[in-house]
Amino acid sequence: MTIQYDADVIVVGSGALGSNAAYELLKHGKSVIVLESGQSIPRWKIVENFRSSPRKGNHNDPYPNQPWAPTSFSPGYIENTGNFKFLPGMLRLVGGTTWHWAGATWRFLPNDMKLKTLYGVGRDWPISYEDLEPYYGRAEFNLGVAGSDTQDQSGQGSNHQFPARSTPYPVSPEAETYYFQRLKARLAPEGFNFIHEPNARTNQPWDGRPGCSGNNNCMPVCPIGAMYSGDVHARHVQALGGKIIENATVFKLEKGPDGKIVAAHYRTSEHKDVRLTARYFIIASNGLETPKLLLMSDVANASDQVGRNLMDHTGMGLQFLADEPLWPGRGQVQQGGIFNWRDGDFRREHSAIKHALTNTVPNRAITQHLLSQGIVGPELDEKIKDWAARWVDISTVFELLPSPSNRIQPSTTRRDALGIPTMTIHYDTDDYIEKGAAVAKADYAKFVAGMGGTVINDNTGWQNRDHIMGTVLMGDDAKTSVVNGECRSWDHSNLFMATTGVIPACGVVNPTLAGVALAIRSADIIAKEV
Amino acid sequence: MPRYLAPGLGLVILTAIPRLAMAQASTEDLVRQGAYIARAADCMACHTNPGGKSYGGGYVISSPLGDIIATNISPSRQYGIGNWTETQFSRAVREGIAPEGHLYPAMPYTAYSGISDADIHALYLYFTKGTKPVDLPPERHTALPFPFNQRWLMAGWNLLYSTGKPMSAATTAAGGTQRGEYLVKVLAHCSTCHTPRNIGMSEDQSRFLAGADLGGWHAPNLTSDAISGLGGWSDDELKSYLRDGAAHGKSQAAGGMAEAVEHSLRHLTDADLDAIVRYLRTVKPVRNPNQSRPGFSVTTGKPVDLAVLDAPINRSPDALTNASSINGAELYTGACASCHQLNGQGTHDQFYPSLTSNTAVGGPTAQNLVMAILKGVNRATNNGTVTMPAFEKQLNDAQVASVANYVLQRFGNDAIHVNAADVTLLKEGGAKSFLVRYAQIAAIGGVSIMAVLVFVSLIVILYKNRNSSKE
Repeated sequence: MTIQYDADVIVVGSGALGSNAAYELLKHGKSVIVLESGQSIPRWKIVENFRSSPRKGNHNDPYPNQPWAPTSFSPGYIENTGNFKFLPGMLRLVGGTTWHWAGATWRFLPNDMKLKTLYGVGRDWPISYEDLEPYYGRAEFNLGVAGSDTQDQSGQGSNHQFPARSTPYPVSPEAETYYFQRLKARLAPEGFNFIHEPNARTNQPWDGRPGCSGNNNCMPVCPIGAMYSGDVHARHVQALGGKIIENATVFKLEKGPDGKIVAAHYRTSEHKDVRLTARYFIIASNGLETPKLLLMSDVANASDQVGRNLMDHTGMGLQFLADEPLWPGRGQVQQGGIFNWRDGDFRREHSAIKHALTNTVPNRAITQHLLSQGIVGPELDEKIKDWAARWVDISTVFELLPSPSNRIQPSTTRRDALGIPTMTIHYDTDDYIEKGAAVAKADYAKFVAGMGGTVINDNTGWQNRDHIMGTVLMGDDAKTSVVNGECRSWDHSNLFMATTGVIPACGVVNPTLAGVALAIRSADIIAKEV
Repeated sequence: MPRYLAPGLGLVILTAIPRLAMAQASTEDLVRQGAYIARAADCMACHTNPGGKSYGGGYVISSPLGDIIATNISPSRQYGIGNWTETQFSRAVREGIAPEGHLYPAMPYTAYSGISDADIHALYLYFTKGTKPVDLPPERHTALPFPFNQRWLMAGWNLLYSTGKPMSAATTAAGGTQRGEYLVKVLAHCSTCHTPRNIGMSEDQSRFLAGADLGGWHAPNLTSDAISGLGGWSDDELKSYLRDGAAHGKSQAAGGMAEAVEHSLRHLTDADLDAIVRYLRTVKPVRNPNQSRPGFSVTTGKPVDLAVLDAPINRSPDALTNASSINGAELYTGACASCHQLNGQGTHDQFYPSLTSNTAVGGPTAQNLVMAILKGVNRATNNGTVTMPAFEKQLNDAQVASVANYVLQRFGNDAIHVNAADVTLLKEGGAKSFLVRYAQIAAIGGVSIMAVLVFVSLIVILYKNRNSSKE
């Protein structure tokens, strides 16, 4: 008897990773259903929600927070128990959280993937840079990434391209902002290596998107759709005949007698439960919701590693006033940074470090700071004018090591409006990044001195960076990892994860591009088997 | 050879160059001349599919009769024109009759009939020696509905409407007295889009370049009329529009005109652009009786009430999700104002053009405004590519109509109003022509088929007579 399936592949989540995986499967001629807990909202409406928002600094504010699809900022949705309040800004709508990011699309370095072998700490990836390289190229094409084909992105100052690429960047890099030029001109002679940041804010028309024109509003929403968001491929999925079911919160993956996953169960916003079957399943519900779903379903967890090893690029910042006007806020919200500490033998002792030059229009941050100092009236106006020209904002991130005790679990006490458990997160910072922080602070002193600066804040404390990794990590041993190098569950041969949660060693770069590359790779593998 | 060379010097050079080398140089020059003619005639726009190989065909021309698929005109012997003689080539380009049969007038042979003998020779050399063969079978063939799939019917059409004769190279070569007319009428075939057509789908020469509808867009009036045409444009503005697709404070090219700028006009010499401008100044003015002021004459937008604009909105999750609004102001601020700005003034450098002082907004029709919203703009220029995103997937037809009305009211012709049905019609390519609407109905109705057959027979007889009288 032939078994009838609702689709060849069910993808849970319509964000950048899920939509790219679904798109590639559709191109291979497979039938795909994407289940999305949120809804589809056109860009103009989100822009209007932002324009009319009284909370411009809250990146989730223009997006709906539905009872059946709570965002991470929904009060009480995430309960923290560690020494750090882990609270990334995750969204629930078609297109996912890349509706607000800054489009940083670095590649991991070959050495990032061999952390344990080379430096004796953390874990190795089960695949090499060479394994992933062609898929990086395809991911960059899908996202329309602009990048430099001549720089050493390891930050070690060589004069040739690194890491190696088989294809050039699809879009050439944008011109350097005056802010970036001046900081580079004055700090590079001190030995700091400035690297352009490859980014998915195309500066030339790409795939129906216009070129970035520097609205400086990547977060919370690009008003013109120049910056890549998952909605691009969600639309492509629909154009190719893929089906996206909205308001469908998956709460259970059903195991069959042969150990394969046979069905996904979702609950609608009307509290109706639906069971859908497929040959293969891809869970692409971000690095927190994915392990939560696996744990609630009691699947894929023979290793007991699901939800553990939670990593972010937990970071800190520096704000100071330079002794000359730099005019921050013109052009992109970030353009690159200082990468001397991206790789080296020091990684045995302390974390790798990335200093990113934040180029967000600073008026709001400055005004808030001045008001908090009690400055008002004409003095406030004068200071805003002066400071807004000279403001320098460095956003620093650190490489976390995977720790089994840093974990996300379904809450045992709280449930959302659909009766689905909310989440509990335990997250502690460790000595590895504390030692890195001391190194970063020494750099801060040099930055300030090099720019003749006046410090506004050089002690921000640890901050969220919203780069969720490790929670369904990949490895080459079923006993110690959740998925193999294909992102396939060790326990269920037809279950794949498309989330940055598979990344076992997190380097210092934003993981979305690697996530999309891995998702495309998984789609290719599944297409051969379905 | 430059004309100012003294004859004696010319003789010295001629004798100094070996015969063979000179013959080669001469062919190279002709191929180069042909390449330029091909640019001016914009062969590329139709015969190259975007992203495809040059002159490999495959581009879909949406005609009122149905999709016409441009053919491979590369020198491929199997799929292109590699086996054509120069006579066959000339006949196809200038008379619309290829070795395989009649062409549809989507190929502007009625205009190309004026190509000079010298240029057709150069063009033939370019296509046979200056381009690379594309040896790929066509993915799609033209398949128009009956009766238009009867290509031989075109013989009758040609008899009625194809009248041009080759112009003389003496007056049409670069610098010649008729160069501008030659570029406008013949090579750039401006009238193919800009001259309205009669009920037989032929250009109405009494309204030459007076503007016409095409696939939803409106190709504007190019006559010298000060209100409906180009009379109010400066020479620099016209030239800038032809070269860059934009004349600040006047208009910008989108749709088919963006393609013409991208593939053809921006590659023309300064002297040729000047010649076009000079000729356009002489085109008989044709006034649109419904128009009393130029389309660019609204220079300032009507003010907006900021208190209304900044009123708090319902921030419930349902309200933040609900995108069904047909409030034009809300749609404008969300979808348009990031680039065109709150008061429609565009950006300072006009990279994002103003909606005031803009013929697409202030002119007698809102077609180009609606089409730009639906389809966006994409135009490669000599200074980067200009893009406006298409909104047809973000806004429904009623929303497009309401934002268009908002723009018309505040920034342009507040006397016109569009509704959702207008938008739907434009999206589908605009109103169909008389011939298309009635020929098919006639063909379907049993009795009328007889009438069509009689008509066709008549054409065949006339055509045969013409051929025999030629011989």
